[in-house]
Amino acid sequence: MTGTSAPAGPQTAADIWNELESLARRDVGERAYVERLLELWCGALGAPGAALYVEREAPDLGSRTPPGAPELLREVVVGEGPFPASFKAAADGLAGADGVATWGLPGGLLVARPPATGLDTETPPPEPLTLLLGASLRALRLRKQLKQQHFQVNYRVVELESVYEVGLAIASTLDLDQLSEEILLRAVSLLDARRGAFYRRDGDAYRLDRTFGGEARDRFAADDPALEPFLAGKGAGPEELLPGARHLMAVAIGSGQRLGGLIVVGDKESRRGVGPFGVADRRTLSLFANQAAIALENARLHRQALEKERLEREMELAAEIQRQILPSGAPRLPGWELIGWNRPARQVGGDYYDLLSRNGRLTFTIADVTGKGIAAALLVSTLHSALHLLLDRVGVGPELFSRLNRHILDSSAQNKFITLLLADLDAASGELTFVNAGHNPGLLLRGGGEVAELSPGGLPLGLMEGGAYDTSRLDLAPGDLLCLYTDGITECASPADEEFGQQRLVECLTAMHREPLGDIVACIDRATQEFAAGQPQADDQTVILLRRAAG
Amino acid sequence: MSESLKLQVDRRDGLAVIYTEGYINNQGGEEIASTASELIQGGYKVLLLNLKGTKIVNSIGISILIEIIEKMLEIEGRLAFCCLTPTIEKTFHIMGLAQYAGIYPDEPEALDDLGAATSS
Repeated sequence: MTGTSAPAGPQTAADIWNELESLARRDVGERAYVERLLELWCGALGAPGAALYVEREAPDLGSRTPPGAPELLREVVVGEGPFPASFKAAADGLAGADGVATWGLPGGLLVARPPATGLDTETPPPEPLTLLLGASLRALRLRKQLKQQHFQVNYRVVELESVYEVGLAIASTLDLDQLSEEILLRAVSLLDARRGAFYRRDGDAYRLDRTFGGEARDRFAADDPALEPFLAGKGAGPEELLPGARHLMAVAIGSGQRLGGLIVVGDKESRRGVGPFGVADRRTLSLFANQAAIALENARLHRQALEKERLEREMELAAEIQRQILPSGAPRLPGWELIGWNRPARQVGGDYYDLLSRNGRLTFTIADVTGKGIAAALLVSTLHSALHLLLDRVGVGPELFSRLNRHILDSSAQNKFITLLLADLDAASGELTFVNAGHNPGLLLRGGGEVAELSPGGLPLGLMEGGAYDTSRLDLAPGDLLCLYTDGITECASPADEEFGQQRLVECLTAMHREPLGDIVACIDRATQEFAAGQPQADDQTVILLRRAAG
Repeated sequence: MSESLKLQVDRRDGLAVIYTEGYINNQGGEEIASTASELIQGGYKVLLLNLKGTKIVNSIGISILIEIIEKMLEIEGRLAFCCLTPTIEKTFHIMGLAQYAGIYPDEPEALDDLGAATSS
């Protein structure tokens, strides 16, 4: 504030009243009004200089002056130099000086220089202008208090709005990283913190996700003994959490099994520096953390759903690849009927079959990899490639099986093996050569109704090294029906946990053995489904049927 | 993330643009207030605060911004803000800053409007 000259010559009471009324009508503001009033006061009372000091009581919001140190609002100086800027200096330097009068007014102090005729230093002059000055000063003070309260109420609305908006983010922000940043920034801002950090629970530790305003400890054990009292507001927390911060506060995000992390804030700011967080701050942060927990859980579930969707897309791709591996139809050979059918229990399966026609011969195979799903499907691909390569080189026989066994042992995980039945038919003679490596025995229904089995001649592939495989031979006569199948057919279970079994399969084949092969497959499918009575399919199912045309 | 606020000032004909980067808290707010005071003393009566580089403001920072607005009103000047994050813009509206200071989505729009004000 710079000093200004008092108005020249005293004004009449009417002049003063008119001017004050004009100022009030023009709405010049409390401060300008009080300042002009001081000038008029000096003029009316003949004081050559006066200063008005106002107490400031809003250390955190509106004022940069510590409480209890009134600040110079306005001075009017005619003769000597200016008054000190602070009342303390004024009181030290002026109040004790001869003829300087100091009066307390509501919310402020008035200091006047001599000679102010008729003024004493004990009581304010009973002058209407002094009373008006005091009342205006009080109004000014009340206005400031109201402004501070208005500010605090508005900021409380901002706090509630932030909590509400984090709740809204549950529906809108599904990006976990973006959400974490939003939560940390809002927490730091809401709490007037200088610094902050966001930790995620990672097994038995808390891992730093992000920090604001400075470094933070990378990770600490979830069972750190300092953590529990810290969260209860009774301790300093794990060491070096926010290095350099003097005051810390933290709240957990979520609880129990859903404990997702921690929000840590450091050093609450005020206009005077930094200090500790209060009870209300902890309440606000806890409320905020409750909303954050829901938002974070939602984002985590969304991320899981996306991952699941990606896996499903990959499974669909794998299923498509497997469909390409399995034959799309059966080769035609005069005098013979052949069909293959497969239904996996999941998108991809561990059953495999192939039907090949080569130089008047028909080679067909059926196999079952242990397990189901992607792992089994990968081994099916391995088997398919190896079988096609070896068939061209060594033909159907023990040598092919020994090599396949070696290859599957090298390519598969422990406890993974394959049962496989490979048959080679001389279409002209009807002689069937086959090797059965641990697969379900094929069924041969003779035209006369007898049933023969294509029994195993060796262990499944990939079970152990050095397995021996025997080749067997059969002659297929006109009307004979051969059925190869996987255990998904015979082990199909009823609600009572009874297996469909080989006998029911034989009954199907017997009843239908002169019908078209497609109808026989449909009959087997219908029979197993009726047997399962709505139970979900537990295992992959595959059937190959071969029939020699009746004479 | 930087702790302290960085400021840049672009003095133009009739107005000055203050660019902020970082946290507007007690420290950051004081730096803005000090820069604004220097600009006012240098004769600038129209100030634009571009908060593009600021993601976070606390209550102390807001109280200082209110003081700057009051100072601008005392000298019959004008203060405006642009490039606010949605969160900061909402906070300014709730805190009443928007009643006395213009809020613009981007700098060109703010300069158009403030430029017209300074030339009129």
